Amino acid sequence: MSISRRAFLRSSAAVAALSLALPEFAFAQTKAEAGGTLRVAVDQAISVIHPLLTRVNPEYLAVELLYSGLTRLGVNMQPEPDLATSWESNDDLTEWTFTLREGVKFHDGSPCTAADAVASFEAILNPEMASPARNNVGPIDKIEAVDDTTVRFTLSTPYADLPVALSYNNARIIPAAVISSDFQSLRSKAVGTGPFKLVSYEPDRLLVVERNPDFYDPERPYLDRIELHVFPDLGAQISSLISGDIDMVSTVAPNDFMRLEGQDGIDTLRAASGQFCNVNFGTDIAPFNDVRVRKALALTIDRDAMVDFMTEGFGTKGNDTPLNESYPFFKALPQREKNIEEAKKLLAEAGFPDGFTAELVASDRPAIRTQLAVALKEMAKEAGITINVNTMPHATYLDQVWTKGAFYVGFYNMQPTPDGILKLLFTSDAAWNETRWNNKTFDDLVAKARAVADPAERTELYTQAQQLMHDEVPSLIPAFFDVLGAKRSWVQDYQIHPRASVFRLDYAWLNTEAPTRKG
Amino acid sequence: MSASYILKRIALIFYTLVVVSLLVFAITQILPADAAVMMLGENATADALEALRQQMGLNDPIWLQYLHWAGGVLQGDFGTSLRTGQPVGPALFSALGTSLTLAAFALVFMLLLAIPMGIIAAVRRGKFADLSVSFISYIGVSLPEFVTATLAVVLVADWWKLLPPAGYVPLTQDFWGGLERLILPVIVVSVMMIAHVSRMVRSELVDVMHTDYIRAARLKGLTPRRVLFRHGLRNALLPTITIVALDVGYLLGGVIVVEEIFSIPGIGRSLMSAIQARDLPVIQAGVMIMATTYAVVNFIADVTYAWLDKRIQYD
Amino acid sequence: MTDFLRRLFRTPQGLLGCLIVGLILLAVVAGSWVTPYGPNDMQALARYKAPSAAHWLGTDQYGRDILSRLLDGARSTVVMAVLATFIGTLGGAILGTGSAYLGGRADEFIMRTVDAVMAIPSLLLALLVVSLLGSNSANALLAIAIAFVPSMARISRSVALTVRKQDYVSAAVARGEGAAYIVLREMLPNVIAPIVVEMTIRVSFAVMLFATLSFLGLGAQPPASDWGLMVSEARQFLHRSYWILLWPSAAIALTAIGFNLLGDGLRDALNPRT
Repeated sequence: MSISRRAFLRSSAAVAALSLALPEFAFAQTKAEAGGTLRVAVDQAISVIHPLLTRVNPEYLAVELLYSGLTRLGVNMQPEPDLATSWESNDDLTEWTFTLREGVKFHDGSPCTAADAVASFEAILNPEMASPARNNVGPIDKIEAVDDTTVRFTLSTPYADLPVALSYNNARIIPAAVISSDFQSLRSKAVGTGPFKLVSYEPDRLLVVERNPDFYDPERPYLDRIELHVFPDLGAQISSLISGDIDMVSTVAPNDFMRLEGQDGIDTLRAASGQFCNVNFGTDIAPFNDVRVRKALALTIDRDAMVDFMTEGFGTKGNDTPLNESYPFFKALPQREKNIEEAKKLLAEAGFPDGFTAELVASDRPAIRTQLAVALKEMAKEAGITINVNTMPHATYLDQVWTKGAFYVGFYNMQPTPDGILKLLFTSDAAWNETRWNNKTFDDLVAKARAVADPAERTELYTQAQQLMHDEVPSLIPAFFDVLGAKRSWVQDYQIHPRASVFRLDYAWLNTEAPTRKG
Repeated sequence: MSASYILKRIALIFYTLVVVSLLVFAITQILPADAAVMMLGENATADALEALRQQMGLNDPIWLQYLHWAGGVLQGDFGTSLRTGQPVGPALFSALGTSLTLAAFALVFMLLLAIPMGIIAAVRRGKFADLSVSFISYIGVSLPEFVTATLAVVLVADWWKLLPPAGYVPLTQDFWGGLERLILPVIVVSVMMIAHVSRMVRSELVDVMHTDYIRAARLKGLTPRRVLFRHGLRNALLPTITIVALDVGYLLGGVIVVEEIFSIPGIGRSLMSAIQARDLPVIQAGVMIMATTYAVVNFIADVTYAWLDKRIQYD
Repeated sequence: MTDFLRRLFRTPQGLLGCLIVGLILLAVVAGSWVTPYGPNDMQALARYKAPSAAHWLGTDQYGRDILSRLLDGARSTVVMAVLATFIGTLGGAILGTGSAYLGGRADEFIMRTVDAVMAIPSLLLALLVVSLLGSNSANALLAIAIAFVPSMARISRSVALTVRKQDYVSAAVARGEGAAYIVLREMLPNVIAPIVVEMTIRVSFAVMLFATLSFLGLGAQPPASDWGLMVSEARQFLHRSYWILLWPSAAIALTAIGFNLLGDGLRDALNPRT
């Protein structure tokens, strides 16, 4: 029996557990109708449509419409076939073989074969190309085309999550010919195998795609056309949804969500998620190199109030680890609660009986970062810690503070797997080693967990890793956010994804109540 | 008005652009951001960054970079956006078109309201109409555009559902639909100018009506109506041209805010997102284009003024 | 002086303007002593409250008392605006008066350069300066001051040119006084009256420019209680509790109207022609 089959059986248990946490899980039963134009509001400019170089959710959405990966991520966080129809690994999880669909064509008519997949992953792994996917697709050592429809990945270390990792937003298949001739040309045109083709593209205003008649699934997509409208003002996109100008808003803020609830003809969408906003410590910089100081700060946080301040109740308490119920292989640790006495005691032990003063940097986007900083400032005051909040433009923050600073606010989408988020942020070799915590034991636990197929054993390892983080507090994670969205009721079969960066609009369709719009 | 006057004014436009270009280039040079990092993103390796810096000429002396950039601008090449990797010029010029549409509608709307308001206030000086106009103009200058815009959207779009709340449709694509979407932005961006210009018209007209020239016209036995329209207004409106032209600078600033709230893809939006993303070439080009617009509008206003002044001063 | 005040109070603008500005200055001076709550004290259980006996103007998204924040914010908002205007005016006045005094080529050069800088809309100039220096209140103050310099220079120069032709300046020149003396002692004082009028009116512009910078994320930063920042933060909570937006907007509007009225009153009192 192949690993992938076992993995599938195992994951169906996880799906059952997850579906309880996801209120929108039930699929609609009616048959999809083809046709129509869907207008989607996005809250940031679509600055980049190069599939290997996108960085923010609206860009991921655009690229998802135009390109395919080998696998794609289901709402249940399980890998589904995309260009690959099936996959299996050897027993020690170091060699994976993917079987590709036959007869798939790029938008320009050229065939998409194993050679294109190989070239795409080589480009992703090439540091010169600077693809953000490079750190997220797993420990790939070598990739080769066995034949026209078979691709083999050889890994440097065992990795159980490869099929999920390959569904990463930037891991898209593009023509080998484009990579070798003009890689950057995909910034302004699109040559993919996705369900839609690019019609027009203005980064700050509008991106239009139309149905790809040659898509590998003859049924999908149902929509003729999708328009992504850029709304820099959050209020404007909500007003436009209410007025019927827009059919769907990709991300909604909690207060807007409350405003939309109960409005006629509008469905609010909500999914529990592992998305969070945290406070990172530069654990190599005084006073945050002292565990007691970090823990003291963690103990000043009233987490129930924090959930309210940051999410208006559309979230869950965090326990200073990046994992929660939304992740597989998760087991909850005892919840840390506010304890000013204990915090003061720890501070005194660390040599700060009267507290200390620190500057907390928060970039201005999204605004939730500042909200966390301002709330923490007030809470820490009780333990005698004075926090001065320094807000700066995101670009300056990335340039000067991010991964270098001593005390700053981070914001992250949920990753598909525990391995994904831990390897992204907290291991010594993390792509974005924000805290420089560099804990050897922790690294070993994470490395061990990724090489294990047995779910019970993985859960145990991740729980130990969590415990270590919880004790040493390289980062304060006070709350997780639910992912919120909204649509007109005439939009069918769109499910909001806990990952917040996956949309699957090829499944969406419009019922007869939808207004007809000229193309 | 002589040819040398026009030549001098044109030379002035060029001087303006040189000063602005030096200023904006200096500012973007000191901005805390590394263009290469902005372009490649946080995942770039040090080698890749260094190679890009070489290629972009970021290691050249600053004066050389300036000359390269200015030379490009003169040939219509504004460089490549660090954010989108696409040429800056075409995108910005299409954005400028959008903004100019908005600004032109705002100017016309403003003049249609402000001039009659100013005239009524001046003619009925001290009376109820005058007080109402001053009341309106005090209120008009009392709130920043982003607040007026917010209130306008809530009242007109959300509550009364009279107009669409935001978005932009090119007039060439759907004239009425596009126009409908321009109404709120145009009103919001003109409110403050209406207040300003109506007051200017009022005070100019009050001044003019006190001059000997008007007294002479009255003594000639012309009807008060004729005195006002034939003589008073023509002289009072003349300085308004200059005032309105200077207000264009204010209008272009207001456009930044309004485009942000109403999701209009104009030059203000481009500049804002460029400033936020530290997209230096777009900042440079955007400021240059705004300054050019202002300079050209003022040039036209000055020439018109000089021309009209000759013709009607004391006819 | 009393004569001047009498003239000022006789015009409705002057009287009303003095009243409003006086009220605001009172809030600036005494405001933070009489706040019922700390301006940044959060109450998790009293968020988004409508006005009540406990919170006269209601509470905001963190359960902070809006009245306390308004009173506390008066200081930064108004003082910043006045200061920015003052610095900008002073810079402009020195430049404009100096240029008028120098005359000739130097005057031509200075004024053409000033005109050139004026081609950048003042909001945009302020935006550029703030992004250059970093976004906080102090830099926003400087940015607005800088943005005001060119137009103030222009105004001061035209006033100064009139003054320059006056006899006492010619007399000083004839006495052989130095340039600095003439500009500072003879010309500036006579240029001041019209400039003060312009300055008063500009304070309201400065308040709004500050607010707009905060809206664009480049002015005051949370948790500051600047009115403009309060309004721009409140926009997203508008549909839940419009009080949060209403009060600071009203405060801004009142300040702007107050300074505008006062400016008009001053103009009429100083120049009784119309």
